[in-house]
Amino acid sequence: MEQKPIIDVRNVKKVYHVGSVDVHALRGIDLTIAPGELCCIIGRSGSGKSTLLNMLAGLEPVTSGEVVIANKHLERMTQSELILFRQRHVGFIFQSFNLMPYYTALENVAFPLSFRGVPRKVRLRRAKEALKTVGLESHMNHKPSQMSGGQQQRVGIARALVTDPEIIFADEPTGNLDSNTSDDVMRSICDTVRSKNKTLIMVTHDPHMAEFADKVINILDGKIIDIHYNEQPQSI
Amino acid sequence: MKLGDMLRTAFMNLWRRKLRAFLTVLGMVIGTSSIVVMVSLGVGIRQSTIESYASMGSLTNITVSSWRWVPSADGSSGTSTEKKLDKKSVETFKTIPGVIAVMPQIQTYGMIKSGKWVSDCNIMGIDQEVAAQFGIDLSEGRYPAYKRGGSTYEIVMSQDVLNWFYDPNTGRQATDNDGNSRVTLDSRFQLTFDSRNIYQSGMGISEGEEPLGKMYRLEAVGLVSPNNNEFSWYCLMDLEALKKLAKENPSMNLDTSVYNQVLVKCADTDAVSSVKAAIDEMGFGTSSLQDAVEQAEQQMQQIQYLLGAIGGVSLLVAAIGIMNTMMMSIYERTREIGIIKVLGCRMGNIAGLFLCEAAYIGLFGGALGLGVSYGLSQVINMLVGGSGFRSVIPLYLAAGALGFSVLVAMISGLYPALRAMRLSPLTAIRNE
Repeated sequence: MEQKPIIDVRNVKKVYHVGSVDVHALRGIDLTIAPGELCCIIGRSGSGKSTLLNMLAGLEPVTSGEVVIANKHLERMTQSELILFRQRHVGFIFQSFNLMPYYTALENVAFPLSFRGVPRKVRLRRAKEALKTVGLESHMNHKPSQMSGGQQQRVGIARALVTDPEIIFADEPTGNLDSNTSDDVMRSICDTVRSKNKTLIMVTHDPHMAEFADKVINILDGKIIDIHYNEQPQSI
Repeated sequence: MKLGDMLRTAFMNLWRRKLRAFLTVLGMVIGTSSIVVMVSLGVGIRQSTIESYASMGSLTNITVSSWRWVPSADGSSGTSTEKKLDKKSVETFKTIPGVIAVMPQIQTYGMIKSGKWVSDCNIMGIDQEVAAQFGIDLSEGRYPAYKRGGSTYEIVMSQDVLNWFYDPNTGRQATDNDGNSRVTLDSRFQLTFDSRNIYQSGMGISEGEEPLGKMYRLEAVGLVSPNNNEFSWYCLMDLEALKKLAKENPSMNLDTSVYNQVLVKCADTDAVSSVKAAIDEMGFGTSSLQDAVEQAEQQMQQIQYLLGAIGGVSLLVAAIGIMNTMMMSIYERTREIGIIKVLGCRMGNIAGLFLCEAAYIGLFGGALGLGVSYGLSQVINMLVGGSGFRSVIPLYLAAGALGFSVLVAMISGLYPALRAMRLSPLTAIRNE
């Protein structure tokens, strides 16, 4: 039985106005992603993959077309509504980790919960649990500067998961890591996402990373040129 | 985001940049303390002015006289009109709202003899029931009473009168070698209203002249407080007793059916102007120290505005400093703001965080500034105290300054906060 898609993108276009020149970043994208899918958007730099991710996460408005996520039309929302939407449905993993340097790992993971008005005690308890799932229970009170890149990114994963979102977006999550650590972190992301039955949308330019995903979307010059499914993703 | 979390996060953000936060707070300290010290000088000068007026007499007293000056239409000239101040008008005054006591007064001039010493005096008839309310303070003894039928009259002496006793035959002052008067409250006194009793004694009266006025025995029951108020010049007797004396001595030329003046006591200084207007309406002349105080207050207010404006300049500089610090902080933290936006921090919360930071600067600056102000105020009072120039920080000024500095800081932080709120979350993901 075909599941109702959690993400439904219809004929999305994005035009940047750079001076008097129009840059067409996306030239009509149609895409559906089912709940629980691990999906990888792959493409060369400048292909529009990051733009697509930003649009799905509601960080950038579309020029035309529809983005429907969890039955909500993102293109009709205001800034404030988009923030509320992100609070409820979205977790984000950054390429450069983007941890708060003056907070400990535990505080970093608990941070997004404070925007949702969760009391401090509950925040810390949930942050501890999230850190445990990424195997960092021994580094809870370390500051980012005291951790390796891989550890920092795992804190980032815990931070994305702590709010229990339906969809997790990851923008080149291994872009700043060496290849060994990359594999570890990738495995960590995929394991947690699968075990919690979340949907993952990941952007990368590294074909090796795409092997971890269920579904690989290939983008070139703002258009999807190929979608294929990995019969045996590396992450299982 | 919970308010507690917001306050804590904002405080931590400031704390991480201690030196800069401290410098910005320092600007606010200088701004706040300069305003507070300036205004406190204004308040101090105002207080000492009012006190100096109050020492001249009670500020809640109105003096009513039967003569009223009616200025002509152009104000350059006018006419005096008279209306009789009698028992009936005194009763009417008592019914005016805001009036708590009314005391009619008559004044006359007499001579007091004590052995060979003589002194002239102004005698005021007062009502012992309400005298205390009108600020007629005694430094010794009690108010004079009227002993009905007795031949001795009670009097409260004035220190000046005691000091003026002299021997009319030799012109010598009745003072001993130390300058103290030989005449004291315990001396025997006699009162007369006929100068012939003093200056032509033993010469008898020529034919056709009026008979000599009587000599009355006096008992000094108290001493008027010599503090500089409007009553310290007078000897006091009971109103009714003085009326009786006036009837017996036609030479006093005192009409006992009317009063020289009537004192009206108001409940508080606010009531003075309305009571005054009501009595003016009846056609009497009124005067009160409140008139002078009001005029002085208007001048003081202008001085206060000027002083406040001088202090305000440094607060303005401090406010610009806050704005600058906040803007710098936002440029520095562009990425951080982007991250927390992606992590789901609401727009209002972001603005709130920055407003909180600004408010903290205002709060700490204001509080420290108040501390500095109290210190400066003490130093000023120590250096120039007693010259009427002093610094007073009333509670409302302290609370107002604190509130104002927080408000000014938040206004300065408003624009930076809005800037932060509108920053694009994309900056967080852009990889440098």
